[in-house]
Amino acid sequence: MNCSDCSEKLDSYLDRELSNTEMLELQLHLEGCPPCADNYEFQASMKRLVRVCCEQDKAPEAFREKLRQILS
Amino acid sequence: MAESPARTAFAEEALTHLDTLYRGALRLTRDPDSAQDLVQEAYLRALRYQHSYQAGTNMKAWLFAIMRNLFWDRFKGSRKEDVSLDDVGEFVLYDKLRDEGAKPEADVLDKLAASEVVAAVEKLPPLHREVVLLVDVEGFSYKDAAQTLGVPIGTVMSRLHRARQQLQKSLYEYAVESGIVRANGAKEVPTDELQ
Repeated sequence: MNCSDCSEKLDSYLDRELSNTEMLELQLHLEGCPPCADNYEFQASMKRLVRVCCEQDKAPEAFREKLRQILS
Repeated sequence: MAESPARTAFAEEALTHLDTLYRGALRLTRDPDSAQDLVQEAYLRALRYQHSYQAGTNMKAWLFAIMRNLFWDRFKGSRKEDVSLDDVGEFVLYDKLRDEGAKPEADVLDKLAASEVVAAVEKLPPLHREVVLLVDVEGFSYKDAAQTLGVPIGTVMSRLHRARQQLQKSLYEYAVESGIVRANGAKEVPTDELQ
């Protein structure tokens, strides 16, 4: 695998959507290629950042209770 | 309507996914009142069509599909917004920051305000926003996201890729505007200069 292949599959690797063989191939490339590994770490941090920031919103408790009453 | 144990059990299970639905609705409508209206309507519809849910399948995905379909029907009309992100091009924030002399993760990501990240998500076109919500925020697989949105997996992948690039572009612009990084090769401003 070269850097171009790695870049093309990075989203799927990040999202754990590759086959076991492909995951291993990409992992081996990352272990031997610091620039790609740094880029992967950055993309993974971006994904975490989006999740953490957007996860902060929870349904208000009063709304949850209202729904429970409507649905029961 | 008389309560039944089956209906109560269904409602209770459905309500375990409320935060996911509410977050999704909030990001799609960008308004808490509209989000509550949308979610309430989605739950009522889910209860009405309870018989079409197959026990043991992904209830969260099923509920999200109901909610987002209602969003498109009620808030956007039946026609999907045809907003392309093709003009984003290949924007790679990591490369851009590294070329400009910043340490991308430590110097930039750590300084982004959560509200700006949320704002960048909300600025995405809705068809791209919902893919980010499903895959990046709620952890859906590409397959589940594709089923929820009624599109092929390849469409999920391409929308997700474009959306992530647009997100990084928006956050880069914010980082430049707020002085976290300076464009054109200058190093980032130390934190204490920002206060």
